[in-house]
Amino acid sequence: MATINATINLTSSDLTSSPLSLSKTMTMRKAGSCTGLELSSGLMTRKFTSTNQVNLISTGAQNYGTPTATINANKLYIKNTGSSTTSYVTIGLGDASDSGTPTTDNVNGDSMTIGRLYGQDWCVIPGHLATDVGDVWIQPSSAEEATVECILFFQ
Amino acid sequence: MATTTATFTLTSSDLNSDPLSLSTTKTCYKAGTTIGLDQTTGLNKIYLTATTNVDIITVPGATMAGKNAKVYIANLSTDDTEYIIVTKGGNVIGRLYAGDFLWMPMEQKAAHLSDIEIAPSVATGMWVEYMMIHEGMKLTGSADA
Repeated sequence: MATINATINLTSSDLTSSPLSLSKTMTMRKAGSCTGLELSSGLMTRKFTSTNQVNLISTGAQNYGTPTATINANKLYIKNTGSSTTSYVTIGLGDASDSGTPTTDNVNGDSMTIGRLYGQDWCVIPGHLATDVGDVWIQPSSAEEATVECILFFQ
Repeated sequence: MATTTATFTLTSSDLNSDPLSLSTTKTCYKAGTTIGLDQTTGLNKIYLTATTNVDIITVPGATMAGKNAKVYIANLSTDDTEYIIVTKGGNVIGRLYAGDFLWMPMEQKAAHLSDIEIAPSVATGMWVEYMMIHEGMKLTGSADA
């Protein structure tokens, strides 16, 4: 097993009248277990030069195992490494359209927009990695080159 | 404006033969600006005693589309087998097991469609905390009006 520690620190002195200082550390473990996750995609760097909605993480047995209902303590970190404050990448789950027209979000469905990452924004989310609906897609707001880095930890 | 900073560090000495050490920091800005997000739900702490799927963050409507928001959710359970399923608009994002957290942007396209929900794996009681830091919410009437 491996020991992977992830820590978030949220701080603000002026968001509210009481300063915010939140710190939380998680050790990434296998589902329902005290054993650490031990598989990783490695830290990937990906470049995008169109506004097409494309898969960043494509699920499937050849890539990241075959998830089941009890095997999904996977974690995904994504960062927009650009510096723009106006251009962004949108990320979401589901099968990408591979075109400039994104798939439509639907309630209790198979496609969902998570949100936007502007320059230097990052996120860390769990990933169930179920086929197609667990694909992680990305869509840049601009055709100017966008660079994203990500790493997936899985079992 | 407010200045809220989110820092993430990721380390492992034994995942690979090359130690992993990653750190990143970002100030939370309003969409397309360098003006800080200035609204928050505050840090909520809740105790859930049913496996029912419940809304923890609801979106008032399409007026929030394109506004920036960040969401933090943590499962405070200490039982390794316990988890919450996090969904958005009924679509599964994934599970947070005991001690796990997430930090993610939140697109607010429409009510219900973009709501964040959680469902505990057990009904024996589970502590969860969450917070949204955001912009653009203007209350022009009472929710029960």
